[in-house]
Parts: sequence; C-alpha cells; structure tokens
Amino acid sequence: MAKIIGIDLGTTNSAVAVMEGGSPKIIYSAEGRNVIPSIVDPVSHVVGDVAKRQMVLKPKSTIFSIKRLMGKKFKDESVQEDTKWLPYSIKEGRDGMAVVEVEGRTFTPQEISAMILQKAKADAEAYLGTKVTQAVITVPAYFDDSQRQATKQAGEIAGLEVLRIINEPTAAALAYGLDKKNAQTVAVYDLGGGTFDISILELGEGVYEVKSTSGDTHLGGDDFDKAILSYIADEFQKEHGIDLRKDPQALQRLKEAAEKIKIELSSSQEGEVNQPFITQGKDGSPLHLNMKITRAKLQDLVSDLIEKTIEPVKQALKDAGIEKGDVDEIIMVGGMTRMPKVYETVKNFFGKEPNRSVNPDEVVAIGAAIQGGVLGGEVKDVLLLDVTPLTLGIETLGGVSTPLIPRNTTIPTSKSQVFSTAADNQTQVEINVLQGERPMAADNKSLGRFILDGIPPAPRGIPQVEVTFDIDANGILNVTAKDKATGKSQSVSIKGSTGLSKDEIEKMTKEAEIHASEDEERRKIIEVRNQAESIVYTAEKTLKDAGDKIKPEDKKDIEDKISDLRETLKTENREEIEKKTASLSETLQKVGASLYQEGPTQEAPKEQPEEQPKEEGEEAEEGEVVS
Amino acid sequence: MKKGSEKQIKEAEELALEIEELTNCWKRALADYQNLEKRIENEKKDFIQFSNRELIQKLLPVLDHFERADEHLKDQGLQMAIRDFKRVLSEEGLEEIGVLGQEYNPVEMEAVEVVEGKESGKVVEVAQKGYRLKDKVIRPARVKVTKVNEQK
Repeated sequence: MAKIIGIDLGTTNSAVAVMEGGSPKIIYSAEGRNVIPSIVDPVSHVVGDVAKRQMVLKPKSTIFSIKRLMGKKFKDESVQEDTKWLPYSIKEGRDGMAVVEVEGRTFTPQEISAMILQKAKADAEAYLGTKVTQAVITVPAYFDDSQRQATKQAGEIAGLEVLRIINEPTAAALAYGLDKKNAQTVAVYDLGGGTFDISILELGEGVYEVKSTSGDTHLGGDDFDKAILSYIADEFQKEHGIDLRKDPQALQRLKEAAEKIKIELSSSQEGEVNQPFITQGKDGSPLHLNMKITRAKLQDLVSDLIEKTIEPVKQALKDAGIEKGDVDEIIMVGGMTRMPKVYETVKNFFGKEPNRSVNPDEVVAIGAAIQGGVLGGEVKDVLLLDVTPLTLGIETLGGVSTPLIPRNTTIPTSKSQVFSTAADNQTQVEINVLQGERPMAADNKSLGRFILDGIPPAPRGIPQVEVTFDIDANGILNVTAKDKATGKSQSVSIKGSTGLSKDEIEKMTKEAEIHASEDEERRKIIEVRNQAESIVYTAEKTLKDAGDKIKPEDKKDIEDKISDLRETLKTENREEIEKKTASLSETLQKVGASLYQEGPTQEAPKEQPEEQPKEEGEEAEEGEVVS
Repeated sequence: MKKGSEKQIKEAEELALEIEELTNCWKRALADYQNLEKRIENEKKDFIQFSNRELIQKLLPVLDHFERADEHLKDQGLQMAIRDFKRVLSEEGLEEIGVLGQEYNPVEMEAVEVVEGKESGKVVEVAQKGYRLKDKVIRPARVKVTKVNEQK
C-alpha cells in the first residue's frame, strides 16, 4: 500500500510529512533536518542545505525564492520588483511566463520547484523504505489558478501524482484537528522566513472556505535577523570604531550570532553575544565581541516589524466582513511565531490565546499529510485512538496504590503482575481497582472491588496471585485475579474507565501535582513500615523454627529487638523505624550464619524465609490483607 | 420472500465491504508497526553511534574560540590544552575535514567569500574548520574559494 506524502513547498523552506500508524510524522531530510531550504542549483542539480552553502560562490546559479515566480508572467508587477533584488537572471519565456536563466540554460519555475519536490520525495522514500508516487502539495491561499497549475506541474515533473493542491491555512487547520463539522471562524497567522500571510477561514457545512487573505510578501524572519545584526554591529562600531559588516568573515559570524541570540531570547530573558577574536583593532590587537542583550531590548528592535503584521490582519478581517471578536481560533504558523513578542502581539490584538502546540515549521506539511491520509482512505474523518487518561492500579499492603497501566497508554492494552498475600494462612485477597495519580489508595478513585478466595493456607508471600488488567478498544476494563496454585479466578468488568470528563481528569491530575511531596513522604513511611513488619515476621519465624539451636543470649537479643521495633512501629518516626529494622536484620543475619556453621549433619533451618518474598520482590508484591 | 433475500444479499454485500475495509486498515496498521520496528532498530544503532553528536556540535564553536585565541597569544600552555581537547574529541570519532587547496565541494564546504585566482573553484583559505563525526559531516568547513576574473 503506497503512502501519500504531504509537502509544504515554501518560499524559504519546504517540509514533508506522512501518515504513519494513524498519526502524521515529519520526515527528516538526509541532512538530518526537519526542513529543506528551498534553494536549488539547477545546473549541477544540488538542492537544499548543500545548495545554500554555495550561494556566495555561485550567486547567479543558485536559485532561491522561486515560489515568488511560480505561474507568473514576466511583465507582472511583482516579478518586475523581484528582478531588482534577486541575484539570478529572470527572463521572459514561452507565453510571456517568467523563467530563470542559469549558465545559458533556461529553467521554468516549475522545473526548479520540481527539484525541491524530488528531494522531498527521495527523503521520504529513504525514510519509508518504499517508492512514493503520490502527494498532496500546499500553496498560499492567494495563489491563482495559474500558480496552482504551475505547482501541480512541478509535482508531475518530479514524478509525483499530485492528488490535491490545498491551501496552506487549510492544512494548518487540519493539523490542529479543527474539523468542518463544527462551524467556526479561524485566523491563520503565518510569519515565515521571508513572507507574512494572514488568512481568515470559515469552517462548516463540509467545506473549508477561505474568506480573505492578506499579508506582506517581503516580511519575515530574515528581516528580524537583519535588525538584530545591525544593532550589534552599530554598538560594536560605537565602541571600537570598526564596522564588522565590511569584513565578510566577521559578518558571517555576526549573522550566526544574531540568529542564535534571537532563538535564545525566545526562552530566556537575557542572553549574551560572545564572539572572541572577531577582528583586529587599528593597532593590530585582537578585538572581542561581547555584549549582553535583554529580551526587552530585542523586542524594542523588532517591535516595528511585528507591528507591520497587524495592518494586514485588520485588512483581512475587514475583507472577510467580520470583527476580531468573531474569530473562534487563531493558529500560529512559521518559525517566527515562536518569538514571545509576536505571540503576545497577536494575543493582545484578538484578546484570545492563539494555538501554537504544533511545531510552526512543520504544521503545514503535517496538515498536507493528513489530507493525504484522508484521500488514501487511511484516515476516516479523524481516527483517534483513545488513551487512558489516568493511571489504573490496585491497592496493596499498607493502603498503597500500585500502578499497572500508566496514564496516557494507548488502548487496547493489557498488563499482568503477580502479587502475594500479606499474612500467614491468608485464604482470600481483595482486589481494589483504583484510578488516579496519587500514591495512596485512599486518595484515588475506586472503580470496583472483588474478592478472590479459596487460596490454600500458606505462609505469607508464598501464594501467587496473578492480576491482569485488560482494556479493550471500547475502553472497557476487565480485571482478573487468578490463584496460580489452584487456577481459581475472579474477575470484574468496569465500563467507563476512560470516560472521565475533562474537568475530572484535570482535577485529579492537578491534585496529584499539588500533593506530590507529601504523598511521597507517606508512601516512603509505608514502605519502611512494610519492611519492618516483614523483618519482625521473619525474626519470629526463625525463633520458632530454630529456637532451640540459637544461643540463649542471641535469642534474648532478637526478642528484645523485636519488641523494641514493635513499639517504634506505633509511631510515625521513619528514621527510627529504619534504624531499628536494620539493627534487627543485622542480628538475624549473624544468627543465621552461625546456624549454618554448626555443621552439615544438622538439618538446615528452612530457607531464610525473609528471602523468599524478596527474591520475587521484583514481581510479587504483597497483596492487601483481608481480615 | 424475494424482498427478504434481496435484503439479505444487500446486507452481505455491505458486510463484505466492511470486512475489506477493516482488513485494509488492519494490514496498514500492521505494516506501519513492522516498519516502525525496523526503523527503531536502525535509530537505536544511530543513536549509539551519534549520541555525542549534539554535545560535540556545541563544543566546536568553543574549540574555534580557543584556536583563535591561540593564533594571537601563541602560548605554549594554551597549545597543550587545545591539543588535549582535540585528542579527546578525536577519540570520540571527530575528524577535521581537510579542504585547503582542494576543489570546492558543497557537500563538505560552505563558500563564504570569493577571491580572484588563476583557476576557479579552489579553496585558498579556511575561515572556519569543518568536521566529520564517524564519516558524517557534522559541520561543513567555511572556505574562501577562487574564481577567475573573466572581465580581465
């Protein structure tokens, strides 16, 4: 079954994604990146990161921003504008269309774009291990018929059957799972490397309708980098009287530093530009670039650029004939929307939190992949596999909640674990099925309980009770407890183990966070107590089984320590309990060792009973005592 | 009678269709799963081999700084420290890409400046060293490349 890939064919960067296991995944390029720079050397057939590296050397044969020329006539105003700043040569081709000329050969924008698509296809094939022949490609909402047709042709040249051309904002909405069943108005704010687009979408009645689009074709991350670079260079010049922009090598380092600080200040309030030995002073002594920049300063530098995006937003709203209050959802696309100031500006304008949980560099390709999945029948509307919203477990000795299925496990799933008894001759265990994140049973929700009886009398820790949790695709939880010795089993079926309301889940998760430290303390005390009780049990059993072989003074010592530990167990003093447990355990070990030394003729005392449950301790935990 | 059997046939057809659809979905899920298993296997190998990659990539600019400092200071102690630092990195599989005097190759090099020369496409100066980690380029070298001035 061939896969249909989704491609975001961008002005600056392109990305490719595919549906896998029911969810969209971004495909990393051969160079190990999540995007492919939309840069091509058509003569030597070099694409992406590698082409970017030779731009300085071959400015006339390294083609970038080709998307600006797609499906356009050479005489178009925008093309005429672009010829002024694009370093490669743009000519008039067949039917008056814009074409590029490289080393005497002409290439249509379709052919150049096809090379990017070919690379996307090759990367996808390498990832999937199979041939890829079909794709969904995205285009800006404002692309006209001729531009869309050109994009489709590019796909065909690349050997891809283009099943559909979809709008970038629609793809973004798809990636956010905004479905067309609930009528709503969505604003897609897309600030990329070189262009800014705003689109107003109307979802409903089974269609995604683009109501209006606006933007700025020459505003993006590159402008932000330039603003930061200028500031750093100006400051340096003020201090040292040297313009770093005039030294190509220093400029290169400066560019990198500007981009780095921009990213750094997205997550921290202050950052440092640190480039030692960046140039030489007039006297030949080395000069270092060392500068602290705060987020406030950065925001100051770029606030004009960010403000420039608001006017098109207003225009788009006006064209759509709606007020900003009518917008139900705002989606952030493009790497620049990671900048906190951009997010805040958009948030303040709409008075609403924008969506930005999907990686803004990948969101469009992901949406295209979802569309591909729908076309290929892989996605039925949107198939969602449920997960368990909260941890499921049972209550064990001391009121502890022992988890079996952790939260966020994809269902259907099942898990079993072996438990044991907590007391000698215990013939029944109670299984208390719990849901929640707290370590103590009492703080979690009990979904149901049942008793497994008829366990043959045996010392504690010997019986093996296997508890199995099984959740089917419908979210029905079956809990079975089985005594491995007799094969006897009991079970309970619980519906709605996943069907909690959102509020309930949130409340329970939050409570778990708030109580985390005190819960941990309580759990530790119980653990220590359980250990202490187990050692007391072992000690008493040793005295009973081998009492006559133990020296009287040792016997007295053990008895004293047992009663001492018993007293301490009545308190909540963890350290004291721990100390006395250790002391008793030590004495027991000494006595045990001397028992073995008495000679092989004597019947060895029964295996240190203490070790029995411990060896299996990994698996067999002690079950809840039922009196 | 006839109506009943027609209904049954229709039902059977619908069921057959549903079975086909579900079988498809199941096969797809199974295929995705098997592919995932294979990929995880490969990624594990890569992970082990390249687990240091990110850390080393972060250390490279620091090494650049040291080497730049060395150019100015020519301090013997510093030189020893750099040598030691490089030894540790090379033990992890890091290797400098030799580019000087070679033909420009964009897979391993990034051109930062073009200078006039007798022949085109030769690397005449290294602005920033490039490195390979276990045969994979982790940072291309930044180089100055020659070009014949055709206007002359």
